[in-house]
Amino acid sequence: MANATQPFRLPQIGLVDRNAPLTFRFDGQALSGFRGDTLASALLANGARLIGRSFKYHRPRGLLTAGPEEPNGLVELRTGARREPNTRATVAELYDGLEATSQNRWPSLGFDLLSINALFAPALMAGFYYKTFMWPASFWERLYEPAIRRAAGLGRAANAEDPDTYEKAFAFCDILVIGGGPAGLSAALAAGRAGARVILCDDDFALGGRLLSERREIDGLPASQWLARTIAELESFPDIRVMRRTTIFGVYDHGVYGALERVADHVMAPAPHQPRQRAWRIVAKRAILAAGAIERPTVFGGNDTPGVMLAGAVRTYVNRFGVAPGREAAIFTAGDDGWNTARDLAAAGVKIVAVVDSREQVDPNLRTLCEGFGAPLYAGASVFGASGGKSLRRLAIREANGSVRTLACDLLTVSNGWNPTIHLASHQGHRPVWNAAIHAFVAGDLPDGMRVAGSAAGRFSLREALLDGAQLGAEAAQDCGLATKQSAPAPATDPEAVAVAPVSRVAGSRGKAFVDYQNDVTDRDIELAAQEGFRSVEHLKRYTTLGMATDQGKTSNLAGLAIMAELTGKTIAETGVTMFRPPYAPVAIGALAGHHRGQDFRPVRLAPTHQWSKELGAVFVESGLWRRAQYYPQPGENDWLTTVNRETLAVRGGVGVCDVSTLGKIDIQGADALTLLERVYINNWSNLPIGKARYGVMLREDGFVMDDGTASRLGETHFLMTTTTANAVKIMQHLEFCLQVLWPTLDVQIASVSEQWAQMAIAGPRSRDLLRAVIDEEHDISDDAFPYLAARMVSVGGGVEARLFRVSFSGERAYELAVPAGYGDALARALMAAGRPFGVTPYGLEAMGVMRIEKGHVAGGELNGQTTARDLGLARMMSGRKDFIGRVMAGRPALVEPDRPILAGFKPVDRAQRLRAGAHFLGLGRSADLDNDEGYMTSVAYSPNLGHWIGLGLIKRGAERIGERVRAYDPVRNGDVEVEICNALFLDVEGARLRG
Amino acid sequence: MADPSLKTKWSRHSAWADILTASPSDAARPCGVNVVAREGLGVAGIQAQRGRKAALSALVKMRYGLELPTTPRAVRDAAHAFVWAGPGQWLLVAEQKESFAELSELAAVSDQSDGRAALRLSGPNVRDMLAKGCMIDLHPAAFPSGAAAMTSIAHIGVHLWRVDEQPYDRPAIFDILVARSMAASFWSWASASAAEYN
Repeated sequence: MANATQPFRLPQIGLVDRNAPLTFRFDGQALSGFRGDTLASALLANGARLIGRSFKYHRPRGLLTAGPEEPNGLVELRTGARREPNTRATVAELYDGLEATSQNRWPSLGFDLLSINALFAPALMAGFYYKTFMWPASFWERLYEPAIRRAAGLGRAANAEDPDTYEKAFAFCDILVIGGGPAGLSAALAAGRAGARVILCDDDFALGGRLLSERREIDGLPASQWLARTIAELESFPDIRVMRRTTIFGVYDHGVYGALERVADHVMAPAPHQPRQRAWRIVAKRAILAAGAIERPTVFGGNDTPGVMLAGAVRTYVNRFGVAPGREAAIFTAGDDGWNTARDLAAAGVKIVAVVDSREQVDPNLRTLCEGFGAPLYAGASVFGASGGKSLRRLAIREANGSVRTLACDLLTVSNGWNPTIHLASHQGHRPVWNAAIHAFVAGDLPDGMRVAGSAAGRFSLREALLDGAQLGAEAAQDCGLATKQSAPAPATDPEAVAVAPVSRVAGSRGKAFVDYQNDVTDRDIELAAQEGFRSVEHLKRYTTLGMATDQGKTSNLAGLAIMAELTGKTIAETGVTMFRPPYAPVAIGALAGHHRGQDFRPVRLAPTHQWSKELGAVFVESGLWRRAQYYPQPGENDWLTTVNRETLAVRGGVGVCDVSTLGKIDIQGADALTLLERVYINNWSNLPIGKARYGVMLREDGFVMDDGTASRLGETHFLMTTTTANAVKIMQHLEFCLQVLWPTLDVQIASVSEQWAQMAIAGPRSRDLLRAVIDEEHDISDDAFPYLAARMVSVGGGVEARLFRVSFSGERAYELAVPAGYGDALARALMAAGRPFGVTPYGLEAMGVMRIEKGHVAGGELNGQTTARDLGLARMMSGRKDFIGRVMAGRPALVEPDRPILAGFKPVDRAQRLRAGAHFLGLGRSADLDNDEGYMTSVAYSPNLGHWIGLGLIKRGAERIGERVRAYDPVRNGDVEVEICNALFLDVEGARLRG
Repeated sequence: MADPSLKTKWSRHSAWADILTASPSDAARPCGVNVVAREGLGVAGIQAQRGRKAALSALVKMRYGLELPTTPRAVRDAAHAFVWAGPGQWLLVAEQKESFAELSELAAVSDQSDGRAALRLSGPNVRDMLAKGCMIDLHPAAFPSGAAAMTSIAHIGVHLWRVDEQPYDRPAIFDILVARSMAASFWSWASASAAEYN
């Protein structure tokens, strides 16, 4: 039926669902496949041999493998914003409507103009780029790099925002089983039967591993029956989580594993509310690495010709997917395993044209088998050339006696033994060790809690995989404190032979012999590296780029090492191996970000009055995690300065309200509460009466100012401290540290109440009138009863508890009124309603900033961690009658050095000129160099009250230089303004407005 | 002069106002995760004064009939829960706002009723949903009934405890408190994480 459109599909064989046909497109051509196919198997079923072009030489390339190690079969999957480059066709699960495009070809796959690179191949040897494009350096960015990138790029990333969502998730288990082949399944089964919490991850969409690819028997029945039974039992345990399409990509400290679950990569687009991928952080007490093995290619001339495939992969295509990768197959093997491919191909009806076994001695049974194929056996022979361009046509074979013959075929299966998949075992810095018996690296020391089973441990037979899994699964359960029953006898398997005598490379090859297919590294490149002295494995890797492509050398590293060992006369063990690092397979950055992108990059904090501000059209600004109202533009106001000037004048001329809920608020109680304040603040607190607030400054232990704010005495042993918004968390941590580490004997309890209270500043000459309309009648807020710095409990809105503080940042008569956060919105609306007769104006951070600069109050620009109390003109606050944090260090000579920059005010001499924060002060006529630097401007504002720009800054001996003129030099914004040094108090020097 | 209506009782805003919206109930399609906003709770931070822990325990036992936990657990009855919040510290969560003044003799009591936003999460997929942000193990073997934790979800500090007495294989029910100012960000994470189950 399907054979008309899928000419290489085998009838009756394979696990694909023939009742579920799927259509897909490759390079625009409509093709068909079945559910259960990968893109690779469906392409082969349709007779597609040529999948892409190679990275450097633009050589035609087909599929080499059938798994995640694939170096050649990379495509761009999907289109538009979902286009994903460098997707391995061998792991891309086929879905209806899939669209894939070959990459690295121009203008079309079949006819590639850039393959002319191949004609210049000798010039493109290892190190070519480094050697050729050294000079002139300026040409690199403009000329060489763009040209090379166009010629040698891989796929194209999507250039629109990713429309899909991603998630992160956390999972915990007793035992993590990595790999769902026979070893992993039997490990999970043994652990599950013992009652362990198990997570079984497999990167495939179907469990079974090699069992899906092989014609094997377990307990005298087809292995598929054992597989179905085992999966059913595993899924019946409530505490076993089976995760298909999930790749463990990294191993981290303390039993932490990184995993990527491809939730919706096998459908056209994720279902609504479904993430595309999920990055898991799995914490496991024990792990069993049952990741199987990766087959080794053989290095010979033309080994990258489409149609040359690994023998195990060919069995996968035949037995699992029901696809014949060719019609006439030759077998090139260095061991028994390649013969299994011959047997399975023959059983599927593919003609075997020859078996080339590189071993001189071939088992008589195999010879008999070969006779059954009606094919010649060349023992002790090798394939030294494969050719045919876009599809394999001819092989050149050198027989044991040296004679050469050619052979026509369209498929060559290559078997050279297997390398255990041990990447994860070395993620924590443990070097693999060489095992000469299997001619492969195996895991050496292991990460804590990890064991290795089956093929991943170099125990390649099915019998060993089942045994290992059952044993290690049971042991891991015991390690987790679970009792295991007497284990059932291991299932019996049909006979198997795994002997191999690997070939590092075929001598006297014809044509290029590739070691690393994806990065186009040949055996000649390794020779060149050896010749030029890049012999250490780390140098070899970097000089030739061996193993540095997206496949990380899964099929190539060992061949490279083997050739280097041969060239230097060392063993492979002496040559060494590079380390494996996470991730085992590529991981999309989006999956690591999960939910946290765009507005959710990090949490946002919203004030209790946020909705009210929003309704008023506030422009918000980020202030740490907070979004604070910056200013409230009105219709017709076209720039922020107009708005801010209006808000500022409204406060100074009438009354304004502003949210200050974001300030840190710390409740301090306990018999020793006063002692704590005395020790953390520089000023005196012992004489603060109940019902009063006081300004305080804290130093760090090193003597620099840490933060400022007020504290109010609510009771004999009860205080409320406020901090700046920026330092709210830091000060809480500081106090915790003081109480837990410095003075654990103090009886003090502190609690952050920042979230509990909404707080509004009410500032301006009419502020008391406005308050009077909001605060319940019984509270007397006349100036006699409630003077400057009073702090008391009141009530509002008919009995809502509230706290009223007469403090001022603006220099006006001002109050801060706090209510439980649930009433914050009501408070803001009540103030606006009650303030209508006074023209109440909501103001934001900008106007607040203007007013504090007019009053010379320090804030973030001055409290920058580099200033002392003395620098800020606050030296007189430092009490000489007590000890406090930072006192001693603040007296260090450099911190009291008279030349230190000191806080001062600045006005432009030409009042029309604008000031800029960050400008450096230079003496008039002095050149702009570091020797003449006298300090810098910390904050500036346009003062609508004064009608010109004003600034605060730190300048050497500032206090002594009032009236002097200096340059405010700002080369970044071409600013060079003559300014006058003045008192850092621009308005109401006597403080008459403040006290009313 | 002033509008007398301003002095009438103000309305209290839920921390979830403008954030949580009721979802239409669909009996035919059961939800994987159910979310209930817990409104009107009385929440207070309780810290024993120096040397008064035993006395505080005795007072709580007498007044509330509950044993103050000394490990990360929540001890509760129908009206009150005492949730461990650190050595000598608890969060007292009352179903209704009430005065905890009598504890002030032995402890620093700080009202947090307005500072915390509370949710109750249940449903067959509640653990799957929480696993997308919660870095601790909520499996019943590790987090049995009554277990409590202070941790973070999506970079937001949370206080979370199990309130059900369900058997091992039944879905658990969790109470969770987050800072009021971060309720919107928390809901952004929670709704995205639960969406595929509802």
